[in-house]
Amino acid sequence: MTRKNRFAAAIAIAAGTALLATGCSSGGAADDGNGKVTMTFWHNSTTGPGKAYWDDTVKAFEAKNPNVTIKIQAIQNEDLDGKLQTALNSGDGPDVFLQRGGGKLNAMINAGQLLDIKDSISADAKKSISAGTFSGYDAKDGTYAMPVAVLPEGVWYSKDLFEKAGIDGTPTTMDELNDDISKLKDSGVDPVAVGAKDAWPAAHWYYNFALRACSEKTLTGAADSLKFDNACWTKAGKDLESFVDTKPFNQGFLTTAAQQGAGSSAGLLANHKAAMELMGAWDPGVISSLTPDAKPLPDLGWFPFPAVSGGKGDAKSMMGGVDGYSCTAKAPKKACTDFLNFIVQKDNQEGYYKAFQAIPVNQDAQSVVSESYLKTALAAYKDAPFVSQYLDTLYGQNVGNALNTSVVDVLADKGTAKDIVTTTNQAAAKG
Amino acid sequence: MTLDTSLGTNPTTGSDRASGSTTAGSGASDAPRPAGRRPAKRIADWRKRAEIAVLAGPAVIVFVTFVILPVGMAAYYGFFKWQGYGPPTDFVGLQNYVIIFQDQAFRSVLMHNGFIVVLSLVLQGPIAIVLALLLNQKMHGRGLIRVLVFVPYVISEVIVGTGWSLLLQSNGAVNDMLQGIGLGGLRADWLSNPDIAIWTLLLIISWKYIGFAVILFLAGLQSIPEELFEAAAIDGAGYWQIQRRITLPLLGPTIRIWAFLSIIGSLQLFDLVYIIWGQYIASTAGTSTMATYMVGNGRNSGNYGFGSAVAVVMFIISLAVALIYQRFVLRRDTAGAITEGKK
Repeated sequence: MTRKNRFAAAIAIAAGTALLATGCSSGGAADDGNGKVTMTFWHNSTTGPGKAYWDDTVKAFEAKNPNVTIKIQAIQNEDLDGKLQTALNSGDGPDVFLQRGGGKLNAMINAGQLLDIKDSISADAKKSISAGTFSGYDAKDGTYAMPVAVLPEGVWYSKDLFEKAGIDGTPTTMDELNDDISKLKDSGVDPVAVGAKDAWPAAHWYYNFALRACSEKTLTGAADSLKFDNACWTKAGKDLESFVDTKPFNQGFLTTAAQQGAGSSAGLLANHKAAMELMGAWDPGVISSLTPDAKPLPDLGWFPFPAVSGGKGDAKSMMGGVDGYSCTAKAPKKACTDFLNFIVQKDNQEGYYKAFQAIPVNQDAQSVVSESYLKTALAAYKDAPFVSQYLDTLYGQNVGNALNTSVVDVLADKGTAKDIVTTTNQAAAKG
Repeated sequence: MTLDTSLGTNPTTGSDRASGSTTAGSGASDAPRPAGRRPAKRIADWRKRAEIAVLAGPAVIVFVTFVILPVGMAAYYGFFKWQGYGPPTDFVGLQNYVIIFQDQAFRSVLMHNGFIVVLSLVLQGPIAIVLALLLNQKMHGRGLIRVLVFVPYVISEVIVGTGWSLLLQSNGAVNDMLQGIGLGGLRADWLSNPDIAIWTLLLIISWKYIGFAVILFLAGLQSIPEELFEAAAIDGAGYWQIQRRITLPLLGPTIRIWAFLSIIGSLQLFDLVYIIWGQYIASTAGTSTMATYMVGNGRNSGNYGFGSAVAVVMFIISLAVALIYQRFVLRRDTAGAITEGKK
């Protein structure tokens, strides 16, 4: 018995040591002197065609650049930011990774974690991607990420369910939206799905109310001051409160996730259990992975966030993100920027669109976008006088996180419009 | 005196280091001792030291590196505003601690932890004692029932959390079952209604950890001598009298140790909450604990300095509770161990 235990202990120690050893040796770029380069690459597509796209693209890049090996790590979206920060802190970060932009980007730039790719962007990429798309990644005379997709936000809805509820067209004002919601309730489906468990999907409702309530100057100015004293922040909260009072959300929304499984908000829409959700333009890809046959939802439609009366924001302004990829400061510059230039080439961008059903940044590739909902979203995006970064990204991890959770409190009737402002102001003190 | 003992006990305490050093310093009187004994003894000493170093070394290194050092680092980082990039530079003194104790959200996590500490004891203790008494009787299927009671404790927290969160969804199996047996009126948003979420959590915790309490109590019951029960029975004590006057008092040390483990576990509760309510909404659902507060306001917000300060507060609270409990409740149970059996 004792001998057995000792043996087991010895094995455990050996295994533990081995784990430690491998843990220490993994990660990071390695140049072995023969010009051979190994890079690690973190993205957030853990399943389906998105994962396959990155696998294929990396393989194609490696075939063209035999000296470069890229190790892919797909990390679940909600886990990505935390893991990334921990890895960057410990100097064990990836070489290429999904860049959220905004305050998170600034924190990384200030810490000297990112590679300035400005002088390495290929002429081809400069020509095919609009300067405006790059602008979110510009700072301190440098450019710190390569955009790959534009992700304007709006409401994704099921045309069939709208039709069944007797709704003509799509709502353009909050009153119309509220009318449609009560019609949908009468027809027996959940009107709006929201993945409040992940906090940010709920907070996007507040972002859009703030976008309608606040001027462009207030929204972008708050990124520097991190003060939310303007009355429009409270107005946005009040607008959200009165919307929440109509009880538009799916039952048990507080513990509904955004993207995982049929019970998630995207899954509810994909399975015709809920009629709409507010989400960025990555949603079609997520929805199609969650339909019963794992194919795109045939009756998916899109409309922009409705106009809200009494605000300072333009009714055509949009929330929208740009997905891009950054190289870390320690990455091998040539190989890493080559890879970034490679992924925005026309054929790869078309592949990206097909895999993610998202709008590619390469304007030559945008012509292949065929779905009516993406076309509508793209047109609205080009027409928008102002496209704001998602506020949690814009205001950085600390304030963004507090903002998101305080909005969830309002949805769950545990907080008020005023609390959103106080909590968010307080959060700045913690960081 | 020292010489006497060293000489007198030498044959039996060859490895006693103290006797070796006294003989070395005791001058002429140890001259007649046979030569060659001391080197052999020194080798034996060396052996013993090397053995201790080799065997304890890895554990000490691991303990210092992964327990003591992080505690110290957390205390250090807690004095800074620090986003986690590069070395901390923005020294803010005790400001993080001031913010913690002014934060309404932290006060509510303390309430939640306190609620769970108290109600875990109140709920699990009596049920576990009754179950243990029951399972201590000779009856059919006793082994099977013991295993079934203990199974939840063995299942990992992640599985328990995922399983219960699926069962307790608004459209989940529990609500469907209630509907099916005609109790549709009892359907509830078990997890997402802030008024009942913490009770749901408490039930899941009790379900999971009660098996551990039962096993402990069963072990305690086994160690009570049979004679006591026989004597009591001969004296005419009834079943309940025996349980109340003999079993419970003699089970006391076990109950107190179990309560200690339960309290510490409740104070540090994290995994079940994190699995069921995720990273963001525990405070909204009213199930946040000190640990989820730390992760939410530290790691998730990128405030590593602030998060470290929360960790320190949590450490001090747990330590204080543990020390107070040891001092006042566990004293008589551990008295023998600490005072080397002096009565």
